[in-house]
This record gives sequence, structure tokens and C-alpha cells, in this order.
Amino acid sequence: MGEINISKEVILGFVDGSVSVEAITLFAIVIGAIFVNNVVLSQFLGICPFLGVSSKVETSAGMGMAVTFVMALASIVTWSLQRFILVPFGIEYMQTIVFILVIAALVQMVEIVLKKVSPALYQALGIFLPLITTNCAVLGVAIIAVQKNFDLLTSVVYSASIAAGFALALILFAGIRERLEVEDVPQGMRGVPIALITAGLLAMAFMGFANVVPLP
Amino acid sequence: MKSSLLNMVLVLFGITAVAAFLVGLVNNVTKETIAQTEQRNKDLAKLEVLPEFEGDAEFEDKCCEIGDFKVNVTTVKAGDAVVGYAVEAPSITRGGYADRITLMVGFVEKDGATLINGIKVLKQSETPGLGANMTKEGNSLERSAVGKEPKSLKFAVSKEGGSFDALTGSTISSRAYANAVETAYAGYLWAKGELPSADVAKSGATKQEDTTSGATKCNNEESEAQKGEVKNE
Amino acid sequence: MSKLQLITKGIIKENPTFVLILGMCPTLGVTSSAINGMGMGVATMVVLIMSNMVISLIKGIVPDKVRIPAFIVVIASFVTIIEMLMKAYVPSLYASLGVFIPLIVVNCIILGRAEAFASKNGIFDSALDGIGIGLGFTLSLTAIGAVREMLGAGSIFGYTFAPDVMPLLFILAPGGFLVLGYLMVLFNKVAKR
Repeated sequence: MGEINISKEVILGFVDGSVSVEAITLFAIVIGAIFVNNVVLSQFLGICPFLGVSSKVETSAGMGMAVTFVMALASIVTWSLQRFILVPFGIEYMQTIVFILVIAALVQMVEIVLKKVSPALYQALGIFLPLITTNCAVLGVAIIAVQKNFDLLTSVVYSASIAAGFALALILFAGIRERLEVEDVPQGMRGVPIALITAGLLAMAFMGFANVVPLP
Repeated sequence: MKSSLLNMVLVLFGITAVAAFLVGLVNNVTKETIAQTEQRNKDLAKLEVLPEFEGDAEFEDKCCEIGDFKVNVTTVKAGDAVVGYAVEAPSITRGGYADRITLMVGFVEKDGATLINGIKVLKQSETPGLGANMTKEGNSLERSAVGKEPKSLKFAVSKEGGSFDALTGSTISSRAYANAVETAYAGYLWAKGELPSADVAKSGATKQEDTTSGATKCNNEESEAQKGEVKNE
Repeated sequence: MSKLQLITKGIIKENPTFVLILGMCPTLGVTSSAINGMGMGVATMVVLIMSNMVISLIKGIVPDKVRIPAFIVVIASFVTIIEMLMKAYVPSLYASLGVFIPLIVVNCIILGRAEAFASKNGIFDSALDGIGIGLGFTLSLTAIGAVREMLGAGSIFGYTFAPDVMPLLFILAPGGFLVLGYLMVLFNKVAKR
């Protein structure tokens, strides 16, 4: 047969039945999720709050924190549900319904806690909190994390990093938009259009991170 | 409607129960049909990646499990003659951009050489317009492999020194594709008992050794050669 | 509002993409080609019509405070059921639209219309609203997809006219934002006249 052109990993897979996926460190997952594969700027998830909340840096930071908290919490809950309930009972097809209900419940909880702990933040975020429920990023990430077969720790780190990427994009974007407010933008472009074009430029800048680390 | 704790709990519970019941019901009704459709698609793909032939096709499956993933080697026969081998294989070492991809790869033996006759994407969830272009006929990835001898291929994208011309803007998806073809080739060799053993792979030696170990974790029902017939029209 | 207006308002006056600015994620995510945009639009329209009808039916029995979770459950089960039915009985359609279906659950258009229209109107009007908004969504997505495909891949509905010379950027993420932004400017200009 001459030279063997099949990689060691594949052969080992056949010989001892194990899959030797390239080791991706937690570090690579964090960098990959925040910069390389930014949830808003390259995966197009969570655009609605991105455009809706990002007119002030402060509210953006608050929203970012709320999303991070919900996402990290949701990843723990959805991971356990998938592992201990959906798969053992063979009802994986209920995944979407179960996950979205869990997320809705979590958001409700965050809302109640926020109301008690920080009324000021609640005032600012109040109307956007229910939006987290339909923030496709939260459900999307929960489903992707399950798809990728992560263990619990990796899953939580991954979700938190994605959320951090969301917060980063939101805050950066809010910074730019605060400046745009005082600029003389052409009539027809004021508001959402100029925001979208700015987001396009920001996404272009983030493309510079491509291939920095292997993607999870 | 006014909210009280009782009616909130009742209504939410009621709606969820009805929804769960309906979804479960539809799942029960459609499960069989979906499985049949998938099987039929696979059978059609097996014929599609192999050259045309006369008469009815006869399938002989040999499967092995690698971790959670299944590699299925089907020997397609027409009468007594072997038409070729259709291998269903996922990408192992490199997942796609979104999820692992699964390919059906057809191998034919001609004048002592093995050739890749055709490739069909069975499952992919890559970005539409970019990585998803791997399903288009005659794309650069398919062209890089079909009609070639797998022995001469390097299973990586061309900018990493391999023989696969990546799809524009989709290096990651292309890598996964190359890896799935590699897995399929390994599966073919495994089915023929020609797969080099782990020691060879580890030491990087080029000498071929006898392998008897093969895949370890085959399903009982499926490790027995399965026979199925499909009308070839 | 007349019945006809209910259908036509979604195209210009209440265009979900350019005026209401709803459902941005699928709008940007799938519009890398015209045919994909159209597929997503049609799939969304079907779900929207049905969920609007069901929600207008059950609106009387749902307490205000659990409105959103209740609606979400209805929508999610709908999407799951449609996905399974399509997979089983029209596999060829599923092969082309299948990837978009799970995305519909989190499309805020559906919940947005449930909240803004179906929870206040009758079943027939709600269905018409679904058709109208769905039509507007489909048209917008097809337009965005066509522009991105033309600029980025040099083709339209899969027919190539300028292979390999166009900047790929328009198919990638930044191009999505840019094209949507500029189309919105154009839309405002034309619609306001």
C-alpha cells in the first residue's frame, strides 16, 4: 500500500473505537467565543437587543451583565436537563419547548431579583428583560452547547464567553453610537440605518481575529 | 384577563400539557415515516455515488462505531458482481462550522486500483451560501476528490498542503469535508481488512501490518451482515 | 382597516424588516442568497399565520402575567410539529427549508405579532395579519438576499453572471449589516415619498 495517508486519529478511532478530537483548551474556547466567532458580529444572534439597547454605554453594560448571568445559568440548567431527562427518556424532540420555557422562567427570576437588589438598574433594563426570553442568542447558545457535546464545565465556560462577547460588542457599539448622536448624520440615515452600517464596520474589524485560535 | 396565582398555574400547566401531548402525538405518528424516508434517502445516495448498473442492487452492510459516531460500509452487489462500496462516514477529528457533517462516499475498484466514484453530503448544517455550498454539484471539494485515487490524496485543504480546494470563505467546513472523506476511506480499508494498526499509525511506519482487531464497538444487530434489496430503476 | 389593507400593510407601511425592525437575526443570518431569503420568508409566513390564529383563539383564557410564556410554548410546539410533519411527508421541501425551521422559534416577529395583533383581534383578521406581515418579510428577505448574492457571489437566484470577481465580503457577516443598512435608507426614501 506504500505511504499511509490516513491520519493517526482516524486510524486510532477504528482500532480502539475512541474519538480523539483535537484538544481545544478552555482558553481557546474563551478567545474563540468572544473575538473570533463573536455571537452578534459573526453569528447574527441577539441582534434585536444589540440594536435596541445600545444607545448608552451604561444600559449596554447592564444588559450585557443580565444576559451573561442568564446564559451561564441557562447553560447549567439546559445541560442537566438534556443529560438527565431528555436523553434518558428519549424525548429529545421536546428540546426546543423545554429549553425556551426554562429560559423564560430564568428571566422571570432575574427580573424579580433585580427589582429587589437594584431598582435603578431595573428601571433602565425593565423593558428589555422580557426581551431576553426571545433573545435568540440565549436559546441558540444553549442548543449549540448541547450539539457540541461539551461537558458541564466547558459548556458553562463556553456560554459565559459567548455572553461576554455579546456584552463586549454591545458596549463597543454603544460607545460609537454615543458619538454618532452629536454627529451630523444625513437625514435618511439617522437611527437604525447608520447603526447597521456602523455594525457592519465593527464586524469587519472583528474579522481580523479570524484563525487566531481553533474554533470549538 | 386578570391574573391570579391559581389561574396562572392552571392555564400555563394546561397549555404546556396540551402542547406536550400534541408534540408527542405527532412524533409518534411521524417517527416511522421519518426513519423510512431517511433510510430510503441513504439507499438512494448509495446508488448515486456508484456507477450505474443493470438489475437489482443488493446491499451488505458492515458497520462500526467510533465514539458516538457510526461508519457504515455497504458493499453494493448486482447479482454476483460487486459494483462498489458506499461508505457513510462523519467528520471525526474536525467538526464542521456548526455541527459534524456526514458524507456518503462511493469507492469502486478498477484494474487493481481504488477510485472515489462519487460523494454526496448526507447531513450538514453549515452557513447557507458559504459552507453549505458543499452540497452543490461539482463544487471545488467534490472535484478535488471524485475520480481520484484516495491513496494519492492528502486529506487537508490546499492551503494547508492538502489536496482539497476549499470552498471560498469556508476553510473550516472544507476541513471537515476532507476529514469525512478520510474517515470514509479508512472505513473502506477497515471493511476490506487493510487498515493499518494503531502501532503503525503511532510509529508513522509505512509498512502494512495485519489487522484483526478492527472496530470494537459494533451494534450486535448490525455487525451481522445486513442484507437489503433496492430496486434499481 | 379593511381586509385588503390588513394584507398589504405588511409590504410597505408596516414592513416587518425595514419599518418595524423585527426578526433581524434570521434576516441577517440566512440572506446570503436570494433563494435562502425566500425560503426563510415562506417558512416564517406559514408559522406566523398558524400561531396568530391559535393565539387569537386562546387569548381569552390566558392571564396577562403568563401571556409571554404561554405564547412561546404555543409557537415552539407549532414549529416542532411543523418540522416533524415536513420531515415525514414532504422531505424534499424539508431538505431546502429545514435549516430555517428551528430559527423561527426565536424570531421575534412571531411573538411580536402575537403580542401586538393576535392577542387583540379575531381569528380571521389575525390570519390576514399573518399573511400580510409574512408577505412583507418574504419580500424584504428576498430583496436583501438578492443584493448580497449579486454583490458577493456575482449571481442571482443561483444563475451566475460574474464568477469569482465580486467581493466575498457581502456574503460574510459585515456585508449583511451593510446591505441591510443601505437598503433601509433606500426604503425610507422611497416609502416616505
